[in-house]
Amino acid sequence: MARTRRPLLKLIITAAVAGLIIVIYLDARISTTFAGRMWELPAKVYARPLELYAGVSLGADDLAYELRALGYREVSNPRAPGQVSRSGDRFSLYTRGFDFPDGRESARLINLRMRQGRVSALQSGGRDLDLMRLDPLRIGGIYPSHGEDRILVRLADVPETLRGALLAVEDQHFYSHWGFSLTGIARAFYSNLRSGQVVAGGSTITQQLVKNYYLTPDRTILRKVTELVMAVLLELRFSKDEILESYFNEVYLGQDGPRAVHGFALAARHYFDTPLDQLGLHQQALLVGMIKGPSLYNPRRNPERARERRNLVLRLMVSEGVISDAHAQVARNMPLGLNAGRSIQDSFPAYLDLVRRQLRREYREEDLSSQGLSIFTSFDPLLQRHAEASTRTVLEQLDTSGELQTASVIMRVDTGEVAALVGGRNPRFAGFNRALDARRPAGSLLKPAVYLAALEQPGRYSLASSLSDTPLTVDGPAGQVWEPRNFDRQPHGEVLLHKALSQSYNLASARLGLELGLDTVVDTLRRLGIEGPVPEVPALTLGAGEYSPMDMAMLYQTIASGGYRTPLRSIRDIVDANGEPLNRYPLEYDRQVSLQATHLLHYALRAVVREGTGRGVYRYLPSDFHVAGKTGTTNDGRDSWFAGFSGDLLAVSWIGRDDNGGTGLTGASGALKLWAHFMARASERPLAYRMPDGMATRWIDDRSGYLTGEGCPDARMLPFTNGSEPAQRTNCSPRRSGIKDWFESLFK
Amino acid sequence: MARRACRFTLFVLPLALSACSVYRLPEQVAVPVEEAEPAATSSAPSAPATSADTSPPPGPDSTHSEAYRPLLAQADSAAARGDYEQALALLERALRLDTDNAEIYLAMAEVHCARGALNQCRAVAERGLLYCRGASQCEALRSLSTASG
Repeated sequence: MARTRRPLLKLIITAAVAGLIIVIYLDARISTTFAGRMWELPAKVYARPLELYAGVSLGADDLAYELRALGYREVSNPRAPGQVSRSGDRFSLYTRGFDFPDGRESARLINLRMRQGRVSALQSGGRDLDLMRLDPLRIGGIYPSHGEDRILVRLADVPETLRGALLAVEDQHFYSHWGFSLTGIARAFYSNLRSGQVVAGGSTITQQLVKNYYLTPDRTILRKVTELVMAVLLELRFSKDEILESYFNEVYLGQDGPRAVHGFALAARHYFDTPLDQLGLHQQALLVGMIKGPSLYNPRRNPERARERRNLVLRLMVSEGVISDAHAQVARNMPLGLNAGRSIQDSFPAYLDLVRRQLRREYREEDLSSQGLSIFTSFDPLLQRHAEASTRTVLEQLDTSGELQTASVIMRVDTGEVAALVGGRNPRFAGFNRALDARRPAGSLLKPAVYLAALEQPGRYSLASSLSDTPLTVDGPAGQVWEPRNFDRQPHGEVLLHKALSQSYNLASARLGLELGLDTVVDTLRRLGIEGPVPEVPALTLGAGEYSPMDMAMLYQTIASGGYRTPLRSIRDIVDANGEPLNRYPLEYDRQVSLQATHLLHYALRAVVREGTGRGVYRYLPSDFHVAGKTGTTNDGRDSWFAGFSGDLLAVSWIGRDDNGGTGLTGASGALKLWAHFMARASERPLAYRMPDGMATRWIDDRSGYLTGEGCPDARMLPFTNGSEPAQRTNCSPRRSGIKDWFESLFK
Repeated sequence: MARRACRFTLFVLPLALSACSVYRLPEQVAVPVEEAEPAATSSAPSAPATSADTSPPPGPDSTHSEAYRPLLAQADSAAARGDYEQALALLERALRLDTDNAEIYLAMAEVHCARGALNQCRAVAERGLLYCRGASQCEALRSLSTASG
């Protein structure tokens, strides 16, 4: 007897000890992970907020686009945040409000009148409003590998009826059971039997939460037992409200591309563009109904099935006393109430890529995908839209085969912020980001660095210096001979410096670069912002090397801003999950080139588009709209470049092929068209003319470069750094002349 | 005498021209008499308004708004309580609304100087000089652009 009982006792003791160890282990797991459970919150990336004030340049269609992208809903009479009504040029909108890093913008009803591409009146509550901003468009997130995204909500902020609906459908005895419910299972069984379909599951909310948190979805007995034990442990450790709050934030409610929609608050945004606390009964019931099968009851894919399920939830809400039959009746007659469904999130992969690269230099990947950071960027959806439209239009004109590729970088001249980015012909495709990674020779786009290096020496060079555009050969290291040629294959003899640049003469540019010394040219490129490798070879003077469109944008930004280099900026602020500022990326100026030398270069770059290789831009732009720019073409037309700026925007465009084959395009016949098409639609301010201190204009004979008189033959007005004016003078005396060139007309 | 008249004309002409500029703010319409005084000082040869007198006349697109003003006031009070970060954030927002407004550059340069960032102070002031209107504003920017610790 003793013999047989002892092993059994041992077995029982062993099992009890093992069970106890497992329970202790599970309990430890719950108490360490659940209480301090950091919700993994992906970083949210925001566009710049749209600033609104009387006088701001903004087209009515652009405003409508921004509001659509933000998910504002068109109604006849806006009564709640996120609603708008439009009648012609008048908008009435109830803004959502937003906590910005530098202050709160409260939700309010505003009235806007638009006239001739501007906001002509902005009022709120019958009074004029000085300035306000819309909530910023969320353009993407940085998700963990499992793709979970959520907006956290406190139980106190969950509408009472939503809470009631959830308990009515998922767990009617939640507040009285111990984590599991035998009667609940029985009741579920009975209610399923009675209705002839599965309307309620046997698992309590606590069990579902344990399953989602800790366990795999397999349906095994062992898993079910573990789930039961953990559910009881969870109930022992935590209050009912804590468990319910976790459930509201955890539950999976659908998929949005790579992003998994978790929790009711995000689902409310995702399906209805509405904050959780403003959902209608019909919407609350729809979401609760979806828990059972987010894919099966997806209201976009299966609207009829979702509607039936919703109405079933409404009936359960009535039978559980959550709402009255009359309320349910109204809700049953409502449409599904979904938003348009075209989420703009993650639609701008090239720009998000830029933001991510900047973030990864400073933050750990796991922090980015879990700490709930808010990243405020300078991305401008309206400029992006224009850039994409111009890309589509011009590329379709240039190339019907679809083989040409393209990239564009758009920056704000005054702040150096990147405002838009096109990474390829299909801007939605998150593949090779040509704006950052296509590295190509820059051709003549690099020439301004050579001329700037010269103009920085006012004792030696001015715009009126004479350069030799005559053949030259340079012996290379291994018996190679470098023998550059002009595009038209003709030498042009003695030409003035400004003309050599505006006509993009290669021979004169190469001679000038070699005269200055390659180290001087490299130094200038570095100061202008080129950080990658630069080949110190004679061909550098004509753009040898490998540069991305972004590299070129940095270089032209320094030129456009008057010689100040600003660090690459796509992020303005980073704020942590509690709204505390983590990092601000302030505007910084770093003087790299003298203002006077840059001003002279601006003259030559204006001449490019007025009388040089870039004249084609005025087929797109009004003739009184001043801009400056430069064309670039590489051997065999492999790369077509244009870089330039107006008073507010800088843009660099590239067209080429991924296999580096010829395109048959020059800078002027390709990228220039894209650039000018975009600028004509997006730029609001022409380049103003402001001569810095220490400079003056002089009349110059455009053939000899000598001082001459106004109205004399070939007389041309040029700006000079004081003391750099030519010494020689023609013997022509000034006379009146009625004809003014583009430069003189700046002084009218 | 003739020389004095010439100097007077040299100084007044740019000011008169700058009075027509679009970039000027309503508050600054009249050039106060005392602003003429710097002309008599050594800084007169580099007439403060040289950059102003060559500005193009208003294009159809360049209307200027007063929307940035409340931000300037908020930045002032932030700077006064020593919150330079907030002041700069507000001024940057103001600058985005009105990118060639010397008044904003001046305020920004002052904040940089106050927080001891002299390089930024000088650079911002120098940039503001490109947009300055009126002798006193230009002088204030000029002196900050050469500020030393």
